[in-house]
Amino acid sequence: MTCDDPYHCITCGDDGVQMRVVAVDEARGLALCEAAGGGRESVEIALVDAVAPGDALLVHAGTALTKVAA
Amino acid sequence: MKFVDEFRDAGLGRVLAGEILASVEPGRHYKLMEVCGGHTHSIYKYGVDDLLPANVELVHGPGCPVCVIPMGRVDDGIALAHEPGVIFTCFGDMMRVPGARGTLLEAKAEGADVRMVYSPLDALRIAKANPDRETVFFAIGFETTAPSTALTLMRAKAEGVRNFSVMCNHVTIVPPLRALLESPDLRLDGFIGPGHVSTVVGARPFQFIPAQYGKPCVIAGFEPLDILQAIHMILTQLAEGRAEVENQYTRVVPFEGNGKALGVMADVFELRPHFEWRGLGFISQSGLKLSERYADLDAELRFAVPGVRVADPKACQCGEVLKGVIKPWECKVFGTACTPERPIGTCMVSSEGACAAYYNYGRFAREREVV
Repeated sequence: MTCDDPYHCITCGDDGVQMRVVAVDEARGLALCEAAGGGRESVEIALVDAVAPGDALLVHAGTALTKVAA
Repeated sequence: MKFVDEFRDAGLGRVLAGEILASVEPGRHYKLMEVCGGHTHSIYKYGVDDLLPANVELVHGPGCPVCVIPMGRVDDGIALAHEPGVIFTCFGDMMRVPGARGTLLEAKAEGADVRMVYSPLDALRIAKANPDRETVFFAIGFETTAPSTALTLMRAKAEGVRNFSVMCNHVTIVPPLRALLESPDLRLDGFIGPGHVSTVVGARPFQFIPAQYGKPCVIAGFEPLDILQAIHMILTQLAEGRAEVENQYTRVVPFEGNGKALGVMADVFELRPHFEWRGLGFISQSGLKLSERYADLDAELRFAVPGVRVADPKACQCGEVLKGVIKPWECKVFGTACTPERPIGTCMVSSEGACAAYYNYGRFAREREVV
């Protein structure tokens, strides 16, 4: 049950994934984000300052914890 | 990929390895603990330890969230999963962690509705899609996943989702570090601080390490050059007679942490007086439970949870591995009775576990030759 993504493994959920914002749904507090491998998921963005498409986020268990410095 | 490729540059790695060699004092043995399981995984994946002088030893810490879950909590989870009408959700590897009554994966085979999720938000979605059933999320992890659980609980409350609850096993990183520093059987020279936990808590909570114990702590990223640089920074502090908290991972970790994340955690969770850690025993104020305001979403209050305490299997030495007292390959069952396919101990389950990291990247073969 290991993750095939070469950059990280989220088997226990406690591994940070760097993702890029594709679209922001401010009403629901979610952003559609894409990982390096191309996988996309909805990410909670309540804990980071305003995000825009193209921003890089550090995501843990579906929640963005911080923006990665440009 | 930006922030990845440049931190895996082999040429720069060799330069850093040379600087590390130049900064060690011949004849002195250095024992450094990488707190986080993510670091353990990177160290063995990229062979970081092969670049270090023989007298710099890396000791693996307790920072793997799956590895520190005690067997009793797994059994409690299995009991909950067998409750009629319950959909039990958890992260993938948690399903393979053995309790005294087997694993959650075996419970699923016996008919319990156990489902793997990638985030607590996925568990909430399952609850909303199955309004006539109870969905329980088995929450594990340090300060990196706790904010995610907190946000999901806030969302569930705001949306009035009544059939969702959380069995909270979240833990905090500072109390076990203090317990390790107080442990008489372990003498450490410095710490490679957890990178992503620090994005939430910041650098301040680690200041007790230099202030009270006189040891350096350098918060580090997870790429091979991050870890090599952090080791160099620790060795430089030791050479100069300094002990401070330094931040190698400035591109991600702000010194103050994430105030919003700390805020939602403070709102949703409160500290348990005691929480049991696999191999480390009970540690005061190290575990989180749902606060009074969220008590109606607490699975431990909603269901009858047995709450049994189970001793770790005698053959398993995860406790010593988690404390860094022994190396994974020194455990009696490593690679024989205990493998990633059929783990006895938690350290062999998660890819962040020290034993699985050794096993998967072939370290055990070389280490055994040395013995």
